[in-house]
Amino acid sequence: MKIISRRNTLKLGAAALLFPSVALAQDPVAILDAAFDNWRATSSHAVMEMTIRTATGIRNLEMESWTLGDDKALVRFTAPARDAGNATLQDGNRTYVFNPRLNQVIQLPASAMSQSWMGSDFSYDDLAKSESVVSDYTHTLLQTRSSGGHKVYVIQSIPKRGVPVVWGSLVVSVRDDYVLMGQDFYDQNGQLVRSMVADRVTTLGGRPYPVQLTMSSVATPGQWTKIVTKSAEFDVSFPTYLFTRSNLQNPR
Amino acid sequence: MESLKLLAPLAWRNLWRNPRRTIITLIVVSIGLWSILALSSFMTGWTGNVRDSTLQLLIGQGQIHAEGYLDDPNIDHLMPEPDEELVAALNNPAISNWVERLELPAVLQSEYKTLPVTMLGVDPEAEFRISSVPGKVVEGRYLNDMDDDSVIIGLNLVDRLKTALGRRVILMVTGADGSLAERSFDVVGIFDSDVGFEDTYVFTGRNAMQRMVKLEGKISQIAFTVPEAEALTGVLENLSNAAPDLDVREWRKLSPLLGMMDTSMAFAVYIWLGVMMVMVSIGIINTQLMAVFERIHEFGLLRAMGLKPGHVLALITLESILLIGLGVLIGMFTAALTVWSLSDGIDLSAFSQALEAFQASDIVYVEIQPTDYIIFPLAVWAIGVVVALWPAWRAQKISPVEAMRHAT
Repeated sequence: MKIISRRNTLKLGAAALLFPSVALAQDPVAILDAAFDNWRATSSHAVMEMTIRTATGIRNLEMESWTLGDDKALVRFTAPARDAGNATLQDGNRTYVFNPRLNQVIQLPASAMSQSWMGSDFSYDDLAKSESVVSDYTHTLLQTRSSGGHKVYVIQSIPKRGVPVVWGSLVVSVRDDYVLMGQDFYDQNGQLVRSMVADRVTTLGGRPYPVQLTMSSVATPGQWTKIVTKSAEFDVSFPTYLFTRSNLQNPR
Repeated sequence: MESLKLLAPLAWRNLWRNPRRTIITLIVVSIGLWSILALSSFMTGWTGNVRDSTLQLLIGQGQIHAEGYLDDPNIDHLMPEPDEELVAALNNPAISNWVERLELPAVLQSEYKTLPVTMLGVDPEAEFRISSVPGKVVEGRYLNDMDDDSVIIGLNLVDRLKTALGRRVILMVTGADGSLAERSFDVVGIFDSDVGFEDTYVFTGRNAMQRMVKLEGKISQIAFTVPEAEALTGVLENLSNAAPDLDVREWRKLSPLLGMMDTSMAFAVYIWLGVMMVMVSIGIINTQLMAVFERIHEFGLLRAMGLKPGHVLALITLESILLIGLGVLIGMFTAALTVWSLSDGIDLSAFSQALEAFQASDIVYVEIQPTDYIIFPLAVWAIGVVVALWPAWRAQKISPVEAMRHAT
């Protein structure tokens, strides 16, 4: 089902490129699909920097990431020395973490998926489930506003019945060139719990890209996690072993 | 026999020659026995309360599991729904109700928190008959039927998860093939029990749960209730015969702590009996010994008038039999009166916070235990008379000459 819808979306995307004035892109599902496609493409390789501001201080981490399709991702930390070597692998709905000091790969239990990823404001679920937003929710276009010469679509996504999602709703902002501008997570009472904002958009790897994302929780004011993408290439091909457990433990 | 006829009225009259001394002994004996009987009644009522409230929550008087489940309660040790033979055995008239449940470790998640829980797939209709949980729902409703795919969670869990009635929570369970089954459930009811129980159990419809983890027709346990405690052994045997490859256990084995409490409470009563017996004995020996010393002249006179030492011994023993017997009767009467006056139950709601840990209800019902009212008074009476033999023995050794020499 998902593949078909994705293919359709690509067609829609292509149509939108050919006829920019056509209002086809008003379909919120198509907008989201295009936005995630822009974000991760069919594959991506990026070098990123993560800054974590906690109550006790500030941490800077550097990392390298690879993604393939919707369900494969590998993130390896490269600096500082204390955190270098730590890696997270998402393969389908399984998530593994590798700790070089223990020299062990652990498959994360479901209970740990909502926990903080490397002490940041992101959770493992953000890594593993970001794409399932399109299929697990029903989407409505709340409003279209203009910002910096662009149109921004504000889409409200409400989880479908039975789908394992804790949120009451998500509000996703997508720019008209399909750059993901922000994502707000609301609880079931309509209270904002956490939000992610794209602070800076530049052209990266040949496409407009949200190069700086900041995630913060309402419960911890003054604390945030910022991810800055330094460089990225999209639609590159990777060796097949990249997203395996053995490569997670012993990178080739 | 002839001498008894003579001594009995004498002994009775002697008792009231010094009313103060007699009344002191009577008070000692009756308070001792009263405290033993009242304590026993309260302890029995209390343990019965704790036991019954705990067993009524989920355990029942016994449960059937797959072999190995109790050692390792996971998805590998499930059992099929009961076959005809087992159902026939479960429909034994001694078993008032029985219920099938699917129980698996799960993870419960809200917007704010993720917590480990035990997920129970139940048959609501049967649970209403067997379990007190449906009656503890303080907000919302209990489950409607086995296909009800909503959840009932505990009050404390609601607080910890920062969720509420009508909101969604996610339950995650590892399925039979090791894959993760997860889906959202609506919170339709909140129950109020003790904190430990509230934090542990999450209830949903059994069919809904079986479908979620793809374990149709599989259950973890059958719980049954046997109202008559005496019938339990026979029922267990019967069930074991009907299902030889399953693990049939009574509540004492399922909840060893509860079983231990049940026996240790009886033990506590016996310790108190021992303590009170020592106190009562000291009281009796003391007053009787004093009495003997005060009555040396009298015993000398009796001996001089021709009573044999044996008669003196019999006289004093008769006195203590009458005295302690009377004390025992008063003790029994006051204890019965106390229990009767508390027959509406002792309201312990002032301590309900502390009591919650025992899963006991706020009201303890005390009742007269017929065996206690035979055993304890007889024990006090017999031991009292036996210890009073020592002063009596001293008295029978008194000779008229010794009595005359004795300065008053």
